Formats: sequence, C-alpha cells, structure tokens
Amino acid sequence: MIRKIMHRPQAVLGLAMMLLVFLVMLLAPVFAPNDPMQLNVAHSFAPPDAQYPLGTDELGRCILSRLIYGARASLSIALPTLLLLAVISTVVATLCAYVGGALDRMFEVVSNIFMAFPPFLVAITLVGLFESKAASIVLSIVIAMWVWNARVVRTHVLRERNQPYVITCRMSGCSELRIVFRHIIPNILPHLLVLYSTGLSSIIIMISSYAFLGLGLETGTAEWGAMFVNANKLIFSHPLFLVYPGLCILFAAAGFNLFGEALRDICAPREG
Amino acid sequence: MSKRILARLGLLIVVLFGVTVLTFFYTNLSPVDAAEALAVRRYNRPTAQQVELVREELGLDQPILQQYGSWLWNALHGDFGNSYNTGRPIVEELTAAIRPTLVMAAMALLFATLISIPLGVLSASRKGGLSDRSIYLFGIICMSLPNYWIGFMLLLAFAVYLPIFSIMGADSLKDFVLPALALAIPMAAGNIRVFRSSLLDGYNSDFVLYARARGVSEWKIANLVSRFALPPLITMLAQSFGFMIAGSAMVESVFSIPGLGSMLVTALGARDTITINACVLLTAVIFVLVNFIADCVNAFLNPQNQKGGGL
Repeated sequence: MIRKIMHRPQAVLGLAMMLLVFLVMLLAPVFAPNDPMQLNVAHSFAPPDAQYPLGTDELGRCILSRLIYGARASLSIALPTLLLLAVISTVVATLCAYVGGALDRMFEVVSNIFMAFPPFLVAITLVGLFESKAASIVLSIVIAMWVWNARVVRTHVLRERNQPYVITCRMSGCSELRIVFRHIIPNILPHLLVLYSTGLSSIIIMISSYAFLGLGLETGTAEWGAMFVNANKLIFSHPLFLVYPGLCILFAAAGFNLFGEALRDICAPREG
Repeated sequence: MSKRILARLGLLIVVLFGVTVLTFFYTNLSPVDAAEALAVRRYNRPTAQQVELVREELGLDQPILQQYGSWLWNALHGDFGNSYNTGRPIVEELTAAIRPTLVMAAMALLFATLISIPLGVLSASRKGGLSDRSIYLFGIICMSLPNYWIGFMLLLAFAVYLPIFSIMGADSLKDFVLPALALAIPMAAGNIRVFRSSLLDGYNSDFVLYARARGVSEWKIANLVSRFALPPLITMLAQSFGFMIAGSAMVESVFSIPGLGSMLVTALGARDTITINACVLLTAVIFVLVNFIADCVNAFLNPQNQKGGGL
C-alpha cells in the first residue's frame, strides 16, 4: 500500500502539500514574521516591505502572519471535527450494516430523512449551539455530515460482511467483535481514508465559509475565511488581499483532495 | 414502473414528514432563546416579566410537541407565521427571496450540465490521455475552491478589470451569470467524474460489443450508452441543485443578492427562529423534491437498472 502510494506522483504531491500545511500549523510562531493580532492603525495598508512581506491589512496587521496563523485556526477545528465525524459515522454505520435486519432498515429510513438536508444548511443553522464558538462549529459540522459519511461506510461494510473470509472466521470461532475490528475495519480502511481525506478538504472549506458569513470564530481571529469580511471594499482598493486567503484554502484543500483521490484510484483503479 | 413510483411516493411522504420533525428539532436544538432576543429588541433591557410576556405572545411557553403541532398545521396551510425580526408574514418574505435564489440555482444547474457533459465525454473518449488528465486536475482544483472565493475572483476579473458585468444587483438575467458560475464550478468536478466513469462502463459493456458486432451505427450506440450513462449524472445534478441552494448563502453575500441564503443568514443573526425554521424547511423540501424528480426521470430513462435505494 505504502509503496503504491509512493509510486504515484499525485499521491506524493498531495502528501507533501498536506505535510506542509501541518508543518505551518504546528510551527506558525516560527514562520510568521509578526504577531498576527498586533494592531497598528497608523500602519494600515502598508505596501509589502522587509518587515511585512505581503503588507498589512486595514488594521495594520501583518497579512502574511495572519495567513500562516490561518492554517492553525482552520486545522485546529477541522481535525477534531474529522476525528469525531470519523468515529461516529464508522461506529454507527458498521453497527447497523453488520447487525443488519431491522436495525439496518431503520438506519435507511432515518438516513433518508437526515440526507434531505444539504450539509451546509444544517451546519449554519446549528452554529449557535454552544457558548464556545469552536465547539459549536465542530459539533454542527459533525451533525451535518455524519449521515453522508455513514452511508458510504455502510456500503463498504455490507460488501465485506458476506465475504467468504468473514464466514470462515466465524466458523473458526472468532467473536463478532474480533471479526469487525480485526478483519472488516482493516479491510475497508483504505476506503475510509479516501473518505476522510477528501472529507477534511470539505470541512476546511466549510469552516472558511462560516467565517466568511461572520458566523465563525471570535471576531479578529486570524482565519482565511474571515479575511473576506471587508471584501466588498477591498475588491477595488486591494484586490490581492482577496487572492491570498483563497490561495491558502485552495492549497490546503487541494492537498487533501489530491491525496484522497490518488488513494481512491489505488483502491478502485480508475479506468484509463 | 408506476408501482415503483408509488412506492417512492410513499417513501417521499415519510421523508417529508421526517423533514418537518428534524427541521423543528434542529432549530430547537440551539440554546438560543428567541423570546429573550425579541424582548431585548423591543424593550432594550427587558425585565424577566417582559421576557415571559413575549414568550407567551409567541406561544413559546407551550409544550414542545404542541408547538410543533401548531407550527406543522399552519405550515401545511401555507402559513409560516410572522417574522420575529421584521414582523412581516414569512410567506411574503420567502416568496420574494426564493425567486432570485431559484433563478441563480437553475442557471448554475445549466452551467454545471454544460461543463460536465462535454468534459465528461472528452475525458472518457481520450481516457488516459493529456486532456483526460488535465480535466481530472481541473476537477480537483474545482472541488478545492470555496464558492464565495470563485465569486470574488470572477467579480475581480469580469466586473472590476473587465467591466462586462455589474458588481451587484439582481435585476436582469445577466446579473446572475457570475453568481451562477461561482455556484456551478465546485459542483462540476464530481459530475465530470461520475459521467466519465459511467460512460466508460457503458462503452465497455457487453451490449455495446454485441451491438457493434451486429453492425449497429455508432450514433445508435451512443444513444444506447447515454441511456445507461445519464442516470448517475442526473442523480448527481439533482443533488448539486440542493447543495447550490444551501451554498447560495455565501454567493448571495458576495453579489449582494437578496435571496433565500441571505434571508437565512439574517435570521440566524437575529435569532429569528421562526424564520430560520421556514427557510430550512423550504430548502430541504426543494432538495427532496428535486431528488425525487430525478429518480422518476431515471426510472423513465432506464427502467431495468433500478435497484432499491432511497430518495
């Protein structure tokens, strides 16, 4: 598996982009030339110079540092969201699909109802769930997306559970739990990785959309989507300020998508 | 086939009922107190008594089931109540807001189709080639872009640098071109992929081999394959229509379009739960109905290839 990944330039590129984003997130204070929150109104809209490589915004904050810290803001919410999402959808879907029968039929009906709502609609509706804005974003995205992921996981579990090896295991006296955790989940793991790798990119986009709508984190947080707050004025005076954060989102999301899609091709080769 | 459609109609009704329950549940899940929010707007610094008064007036002091019942009953009669925020009937606001959103989403659906069908065909016919790979890469970039950013970049290119379109407004169809593109582009990626792979499946299947052996013309074969390959694309397009309506919140904000998305965002900001309910319900109902229509079209196009599946 790992060798297959290493032989695909697309997967390697995606992986490198992912690693770079993680690195920027972890080492933001090292990379950032200035404090992203440092206000300096006298120094607003400064042109790029040695101290502020990309210039400053309307409050005199360093643009580059805010972009770098943006990776931190975005991923520090996206990763817990993904973790929670992965656990919930995998557990629910595996349970329903493996047990089958009435439980699975119930899941079908319930999931049809949950899937009547486009995820982003649910996510923004639920945004005021908690006092903590970060926790609300995490939970609202999980509630919005779990069913879409669970449906995919369920398909994979359903396909595996009647495979001869499962029946053989059962005959040789494996416990059901062991079958699920030692055999089925490892077998569908590559598919899950595809799902969650591309899922992370949509979570990153969703988080930036929240911030763009002003429903996101605390005001002033260095976040990519939040940098569009005054976009309607900036578009005439400083259009580059709208280009940078978008490129950051593109870079981060494309890294996860490239990797995920390459993995998908490895699991189920695309014809051609 | 009519039996199938009847069965789906039954499921549709179950799902629609579930949608009303879930809508009500979603809006009541948040700890936001609509009565308190309105009391603050009305009295500035309301006493506890005034808050209770407002709560009674809005009917929010009643048991939750009763609230749901009367809300559903009125909604079925086309009455969503009056907005807590503006005081106007929500139905009026909704009808005004849904029009630009539907125009925009319909145009976006058209663009998504116009992008994904030719690119899907091109990439399937040149599979493995340069155009196939470039289209694949284009798709990955498209799905990594937030729609509002595409909107800003389009504005920057075609309204600021090249003043072809106006920067805001929702008066003529022309004003919807850029927003519709911004909505359509992120949706195109998945559609292209699905169409490409179902076209390849179609062309590689036995019935095409057999038809070729019998000397059926390529044109007829293309017709056969498209019957086989279109249903998955139609399903995807129907789903993206709903996603685009939900995603309209951002694009409408970029282009200052007073549509359903902006209405929802305003209501969320004002904690106007009754309006939020109506917006969410309407979007979900549109989503479900469009998917249902797509299902029926697919059943018509390809009657055999129908296995279970939901809405």
